[in-house]
Amino acid sequence: MPELGRIALVICLGLSAYAVIAGAYAAATGKRRLALSARNALVACVGATLVAAAVLLAALVRSDFSFVYVGDHTSLELPTPYKISAFWGGQEGSLLLWLLILTVYSTAAVLLARRTGGTLVAWAVPVLGVVVGFFSLVLVAVSSPFATQAAPPDGIGLNPSLQNPYMVSHPPALYLGYVGLAIPFAFGMAALLSRRTDELWIVLIRRWTLLAWTFLGIGQLLGAHWAYVEVGWGGYFAWDPVENAALMPWLAATAFLHSVMIQEKRGMLKVWNMLLVIGAFCLSLFGTFLTRSGILNSIHSFTEGPLGAWFLGFICLVVVASTALVLARLPLLRAKTRLESPISREATFLYNNLLLVAFCLTILWGVVYPILSEAVRGEQMTVGPPYYNFFLKAFGLPLLLLMGIGPLVAWRRASLRSLGRTFAWPAAIALLVGLALLPLGAGDSIPGLVAYSFAAFVLASIVLEFARGTRARRALSGEPWPSALGSLVSRNRRRYGGYVVHAAIVLLAIGVAGSSAYDTIRETELGPGQSMDVGAYTLTYQRLAVREGSNALERRAVVRVARNGRSLGTLEAGKNSYRAEGQVSNEVGIRSDWRTGEDLFVIADEIGRDGRVAFEVHISPLINLIWLAGGVFLVGSLVALWPDAREQRRLAERYTGVPAAA
Amino acid sequence: MTAFALALGALLAVAAVVVVALPFLREPEPVDDRLGTLSPAERERLALAEERDQALAALKELELDHRTGKVNDEDYRALVRPLRRRAAETLRALDAYAARMSEIEPNQPEIPEPAVVPEPTPVPHQPVEPAVVPEPVPPPDEGDRPVRPDVPEPTPQ
Repeated sequence: MPELGRIALVICLGLSAYAVIAGAYAAATGKRRLALSARNALVACVGATLVAAAVLLAALVRSDFSFVYVGDHTSLELPTPYKISAFWGGQEGSLLLWLLILTVYSTAAVLLARRTGGTLVAWAVPVLGVVVGFFSLVLVAVSSPFATQAAPPDGIGLNPSLQNPYMVSHPPALYLGYVGLAIPFAFGMAALLSRRTDELWIVLIRRWTLLAWTFLGIGQLLGAHWAYVEVGWGGYFAWDPVENAALMPWLAATAFLHSVMIQEKRGMLKVWNMLLVIGAFCLSLFGTFLTRSGILNSIHSFTEGPLGAWFLGFICLVVVASTALVLARLPLLRAKTRLESPISREATFLYNNLLLVAFCLTILWGVVYPILSEAVRGEQMTVGPPYYNFFLKAFGLPLLLLMGIGPLVAWRRASLRSLGRTFAWPAAIALLVGLALLPLGAGDSIPGLVAYSFAAFVLASIVLEFARGTRARRALSGEPWPSALGSLVSRNRRRYGGYVVHAAIVLLAIGVAGSSAYDTIRETELGPGQSMDVGAYTLTYQRLAVREGSNALERRAVVRVARNGRSLGTLEAGKNSYRAEGQVSNEVGIRSDWRTGEDLFVIADEIGRDGRVAFEVHISPLINLIWLAGGVFLVGSLVALWPDAREQRRLAERYTGVPAAA
Repeated sequence: MTAFALALGALLAVAAVVVVALPFLREPEPVDDRLGTLSPAERERLALAEERDQALAALKELELDHRTGKVNDEDYRALVRPLRRRAAETLRALDAYAARMSEIEPNQPEIPEPAVVPEPTPVPHQPVEPAVVPEPVPPPDEGDRPVRPDVPEPTPQ
């Protein structure tokens, strides 16, 4: 039923146009029923988009190849979970997913804010309507998932590298993050349009920003793990423009989550925060543009299709309109106070913001430069990992250090004497760790050694923060240590959830430093029965196993692994030859040591007709800390996100003037 | 199939129109169709409430920083005075606002008074200074309702 899908999208477009026009008119003239009607139009967009999504999903599961999209991205023998994940495996489907998430988020945001939101919600509706309208228009007029054809007997199939369990979860997680940044943007613009530049818009978007940021972070880690186990080059992040597209809005949102605290506590950085919200949303649009316009392949493929021009036009519109609005409302965004001291908590947040934004801009330049170079000079250029790695060290190491310094410095101003006392333990621990690592060979990489020392400093400062806070709580309440810790965290969720997230970033830094600065790589061709030594490991290639999979021919080199002479069993590395798609994928063999966090990573690079295999073997120390960091990051984010009844009551009292019942 | 799809599409369109028209169908002749905008007086109250929450949160942060050793006694004394003064001034301004509102709109439900605290007698040109640095209060909690700090009695002239 492609017609139903098309009709549903046209209805969504009509509803969003009504939400924009009626919503803006109602908000400007103060008409209550019309504003509610516009809000309902936005809510109804969810229903229309759900119908469109259900039509596409049913076609995918039923292998209805009369849909061009289904024929282009699935085949009869593709397992059902991958038929479902093909929903976001192509351009049209992923844009529909964008729209679906956007309408659900928009509806939830305006409905949850309806009691306290007032004119802010009335203005947020048309802003969100503009974004919904743009995506609906693109899906109706430019890139429809409901184009039809005479049904072929079988489809082309799904790209083999997308046939991985991580591709079922990674793109939706990333999209939940990208799209979520539309909510802070909409309420920020609504604050400017309604001239309500008090704290309300920040209160309303706090959790939405945190949610989007969490999804973006988790989505990137899932993507990194997918690249690690599926793409098979031994790494997890290659500074590919598609990866950078997700990293940039995450960095901008990270900066905002820190600087917004200064606005809440000191009434400063209002313009800066507004610009960060605009920047994060524009970067999320830019990320979608990068991955969906074809511009990364070549400027020519970009100009061949109309989608890129539509996206570029919309991004320009958003940048120009939102910047003009900020400039028009500058008098309302004046800071109430000034920075009292360069040595204070707010100053460390400011330094962290500058580093995050500088890092984000250098990545943006690295992504944009090859595109501009091709457009202006006609030369195809690439900006490779050395450029990004240089800036990762230049900005990442000071950021890591600031994560440890921030919690130890008082708000407003800190004296050198107090700093000396609070810094003594973490600094001593960092120094000891650095010295202890030297004889273990960590001095081979100075940035690696510095990263480990800074990581020790941050972890020590976090542990001290928990210990001192719990002791203070215990001294007052007389609770035992565990319950004092529990009540400390539950009463200060954002602060201590944030510290847990910092701990996750430290684990990530240790994992990245260990796996990139101290890894071992060896390449050798082996025949059956031959062995190779890599570090403490001995690998013996036993035989080549060939078997028929559900939709691919699987060839696997069976390798026996021993460490320091002790057998650790076997692992398999090889290739899959996909029948329908006519493509070959690398299937790597990984043996993880969870005690040390180390991985033995085996790639069967080439499999000869005579059974000889060219192996590439990596030993990646501490790499599993990166995946562990994902779990800790999620826990910290959940602690910070969890609603706090006391806070809700306090805010209700503030915005209604009536003390809420306890 | 096409006719069925078109019928479903038409049904979806009708449902969308009904949802959009719902506010007008529910209230064909409303008593008040104005969108709730903030009056200047409400803006003033909101600004004061934000100011009060900021001041009280800052006081609580300072208490925690003091208790956990990030701020020494000397710095604490220097920082706590202006913060307490600011909190007290905001609370007084909010009280004055509530009194003014109850005078203007005696029939309207009054904004309930916050917890009773001794009201200091205003003395012109006399800086309000705490007599002594108070005992540390419990560590701050993000979600706690604002608690009025002890407003110090001004020293008589």
